[in-house]
Amino acid sequence: MSAVASVPAGVLDVALQSAETAAFRAQDWFAVLRQQGWHAFQSLPMPTRDNEKWRFSDARTLSLDGYAPAPAPTPAQAADLIARSRLISDAAGLIVHVDGHCVLKPTLSAELVAQGVVFESLEDAVRARPALLQEHLLKHPVLLGGDKFAALHRAWLRAGYVLHVPKGVEVKQPFVSVTWTLTDGVAVFPHALIIAGERATADIHDFHLSAKADQRALAISAVDIHAGTGSQVRRLAVQAWGSATQSFQIDNTCGGRDAVISSVNAAVGSRRARLENTVRIDGPGADVSLYGISVASGEQEFDQRTLQVHAAGHAKSDLLFKNALLGKARTIFSGLIKVAPDAQRTDAYQTNRNLLLSPDAEADSLPGLEIEANDVKCSHGATTGQIDPAELFYLRARGIPLAVAQELLAQGFLEEVLAKVGHEEAAAAVREMLRLKFHQA
Amino acid sequence: MSQLEIKDLHVSIGEKPIVKGLTLTVRSGEVHAIMGPNGTGKSTLAKAVAGHPSYTITSGDVLLDGKSVLPMQPDERARAGLFLAFQYPSEIPGVSIANFLRAAIQARLGEGEELDATGYYKRLYSKMDLLQIDRKFTSRAINDGFSGGEKKRCEILQMAMLEPKFALMDETDSGLDIDALRIVADGVNALRSTNLGVLMITHYQRLLGYIVPDHVHVMWDGRIVKSGDKSLALELEAKGYDWVKNELVPA
Amino acid sequence: MSDVTATESLPAPIADTVDNPVSGIDQTAGNFSYKMDYEFDAGTGLSEKTVRYISSVKKEAPWILEFRLNALKQFLAKPMPTHWATKDLENINFDKIRYYLSSGQKPKRTWEEVPDDIKKTFERLGVPEHERKFLAGVEAQFDSEAAYSNIKDIVSKQGVIFVNSTEGLREHPELFRKFFGKVIPTGDNKFSALNSAVFSGGSFIYVPKGVKVAQPLQAYFRINAENFGQFERTLIIADEGAEVTYMEGCTAPKFSTSTLHSAVVELVALKGAKIQYITVQNWSANVFNLVTKRGVAEEDAEVRWIDCNIGSRLTMKYPGVVLRGKRARGEVLSIALANDGQHQDTGAKMIHAADDTTSNIIAKSISVGEGRSTYRGLVHIPKTLANCRNNTECDALLINEHSRTDTYPAISVRGRKNSVQHEASVSKVSAEQIFYMMQRGLSEGEAMSLAVNGFVNDLVKEFPMEYSVELKRLIELQMEGSVG
Repeated sequence: MSAVASVPAGVLDVALQSAETAAFRAQDWFAVLRQQGWHAFQSLPMPTRDNEKWRFSDARTLSLDGYAPAPAPTPAQAADLIARSRLISDAAGLIVHVDGHCVLKPTLSAELVAQGVVFESLEDAVRARPALLQEHLLKHPVLLGGDKFAALHRAWLRAGYVLHVPKGVEVKQPFVSVTWTLTDGVAVFPHALIIAGERATADIHDFHLSAKADQRALAISAVDIHAGTGSQVRRLAVQAWGSATQSFQIDNTCGGRDAVISSVNAAVGSRRARLENTVRIDGPGADVSLYGISVASGEQEFDQRTLQVHAAGHAKSDLLFKNALLGKARTIFSGLIKVAPDAQRTDAYQTNRNLLLSPDAEADSLPGLEIEANDVKCSHGATTGQIDPAELFYLRARGIPLAVAQELLAQGFLEEVLAKVGHEEAAAAVREMLRLKFHQA
Repeated sequence: MSQLEIKDLHVSIGEKPIVKGLTLTVRSGEVHAIMGPNGTGKSTLAKAVAGHPSYTITSGDVLLDGKSVLPMQPDERARAGLFLAFQYPSEIPGVSIANFLRAAIQARLGEGEELDATGYYKRLYSKMDLLQIDRKFTSRAINDGFSGGEKKRCEILQMAMLEPKFALMDETDSGLDIDALRIVADGVNALRSTNLGVLMITHYQRLLGYIVPDHVHVMWDGRIVKSGDKSLALELEAKGYDWVKNELVPA
Repeated sequence: MSDVTATESLPAPIADTVDNPVSGIDQTAGNFSYKMDYEFDAGTGLSEKTVRYISSVKKEAPWILEFRLNALKQFLAKPMPTHWATKDLENINFDKIRYYLSSGQKPKRTWEEVPDDIKKTFERLGVPEHERKFLAGVEAQFDSEAAYSNIKDIVSKQGVIFVNSTEGLREHPELFRKFFGKVIPTGDNKFSALNSAVFSGGSFIYVPKGVKVAQPLQAYFRINAENFGQFERTLIIADEGAEVTYMEGCTAPKFSTSTLHSAVVELVALKGAKIQYITVQNWSANVFNLVTKRGVAEEDAEVRWIDCNIGSRLTMKYPGVVLRGKRARGEVLSIALANDGQHQDTGAKMIHAADDTTSNIIAKSISVGEGRSTYRGLVHIPKTLANCRNNTECDALLINEHSRTDTYPAISVRGRKNSVQHEASVSKVSAEQIFYMMQRGLSEGEAMSLAVNGFVNDLVKEFPMEYSVELKRLIELQMEGSVG
């Protein structure tokens, strides 16, 4: 690609990518994986608007030029951001990355270590646990249109963490990962690999934050969750990158028999943020809940694509995505429930609710169903509207000024999803981010 | 001593006139009851005075202590001291009673003044005890999934907390069983004072057995056609609304 | 040219020897054909020559030929929409289709004048009987042209025009040219372009200001020939305050080769007008039915599509309403039944383009055996508008283990005080329901039919009586043999 050659050192720069890959010479399998990512990236076209998987997205302004990896932060910078990362007081472990460099490695209790729990940086795991990683790392297909970005993520794969909770181990405290961007124009590719063994329990909080409110960056993150038989995995992902960031988040979850999986995706940051969230149910009895919550303002575009695949019958999935829109913001919710031909006795639901708080905001909704079995309970619903005038009058009749009443009602609209976080401190942190977002707007 | 004056008020919904020249003055310490059959304009009167955007005041005035409230927004009227207890209170998912009331009280404080949280909760809990509302209710969303009786008690709780000068109680008795009615009435009676004027709107005499009014007005086709003391309510109960139609309405 | 010679006596219908267990009895009513000797035949395949032939036998004005040739170019340039639609479209072989077959361009005004075998066809389908009973006017199209067209005196005296497209463009150009191709531009999609190149037949209707046509006008579309493509074009204009109901029915014999039906229907409801358009589509299971239907509703006007799709191999049809005037209303009521080998890809489009407009979509589909029903919807409310509302409900009923349904709505909302609500559900007939009814003495099949009729009942109620009876019967017949 001649265009690539003209770009100065950046994520599109082949020499830079090769040099970094060369550092993994001793882990040949990993270097190969990165190389495959690079080749795939180059052969895949940029998405365009007429691609159904990018319908309504502003695909014309997608650009990967002008972003580059950044050097590690100074010790002072790292210390400051580590301090700002202590958001959850009862964390089972905390890992912190800044600009793609791990600046705080988790320390687990002796008890967890004895139980065989692994929570470590991806770089460490690549070297220490090749077998585990080769079995699970990037094994899920990318189905929702972000193939090119997923390939670039693979090509630059290095930052991130691996969490493995072995068979029968129940960890009540959350594993916390905080990923920061600090340098303007930095490109980061954080990865999370989460493996819950049979009957294991894990709670994960992922925070994606920027040191500055108006941080410019490119963030292509991915998470792969393998939830084993009877496991319980709960994840909170908070996207609060700086306001000049382009972010792509590709989440893949596979649930085995009787697995109970819940995820809450909260979004407030980025100029453009795309979430691709795929859940595949492979075993009967699984119970999956997917929640989304966002406050979009200014000219933000939140592009949410979800896929609930029921490959096995007798399982349940439920989805609720709620968006509050201010300014000229736009949200796109595109969800699909797919029930395979023999997945009888499936219960699958999908709901998208959008609250337009400004006449210039736009909410697009594409709720889809593909059902190939008849003994199922499936439904979807989508609503887009304004604050209910009767509710507004009720509050104003109590003396609450218009602006305060609107904010209260908008927060009330989002509270339904916050209640699903299941961790009071984390929910409070997210609630505060949403509140600030209303005030900045 | 405050005074709420409704002067020759005309109210329309869209093009349709509903209240057609109603005049009434309520002073602090008084309890007035407006009775009348359905569709006569009672609820319209209450909502129009509170400033509901669907109701248009075509002529007349509403004065609170001599000052017209008509140019005021609904929240300004509320802060000036008007409280509307809704016939059908809105259910507002996600907004807890505690947060809602805090916002309402905060709005009544001056610029830069902060609500005293301890004092607030103390007061809230004592009012809840009075109204026999479980304290767990403070964290529940306003009216969300409440029974009819719970909604009405929640309305009285808000009235108790916001300490209005005048309360417009729109069919507060509707949908209540006798026990709930008694609790609500006890709550209102406890709030009766020389600082509060009450305008109760009701279809039935039943409520007036619990909250005894000083004045009773019979409303028909958008106007008050007869006023009297509490014995008028009993007379109305005995003779029925046909009596109003046949004898009180001028031909 | 046809190589079949007509004999003195009426030829016997060609029996359908292919046993079709799924489409079953309902289609036997239409499952017969007569060997015809067509006077006009554009031959097989599509080229500029085909288009010129059609235009010349119709003695069209030069602008129409130009319109057709331009459309042909657009058709050839456009790709098949298989990036979102089914790959089954690739099985249409445009080179093997006959694009124009007729025995003359002027329809008869009385059934006596209609050639015997064509008359016989429509009599078997009950058309003259329906006309006598409850219709204000009928047009009966046989392959490319209307064989019969008549309107009751009482209606024509009110100034209502009800003619076929050839006559409409030739005799009333001042009326129809203004809207022809304006609601659905030639290049709207590949099949609207195809229709624009080779259209023939269909109805042109004008209802003058304030005229309310009490009884429905009906068109009956019949495909008789094998390897044939029918491309009728309909334009209905209801002038200010006018009201009209139009109904169309369609059948074809089942051939082993595929048949193409690709219509374009444009509706224009001027200020305060109401148009109701009812379709009962019962093509045989070898027909590709790819139809573009759209209406424009001006101020206070109403356009309502009632769309039932029972037959065809593949139907792709999404009736739309452009709500162009304040307080305009649009509605689509859709029923689809997909049996083995059938794909009903239907839906609705609501384009809000003025304040205070409302739209309503109710779609119900039933998938039987390995049938597939798909709902596609589009609701668009741009930012300049206020107080617009849409409500959409789509419900799918799946009868057998491998029945399939898909739902793909697209909803885009901006502006002030606009609100949309979309709900969809998928269900099956429960074993308990069936058991309950069987315990009361019904057979399993009867119980299933009852349950299915219950599922669509609230929509069927909206139909004129004669149609709702017919539709219920069709559904019952389709459901036979679906259980067990």
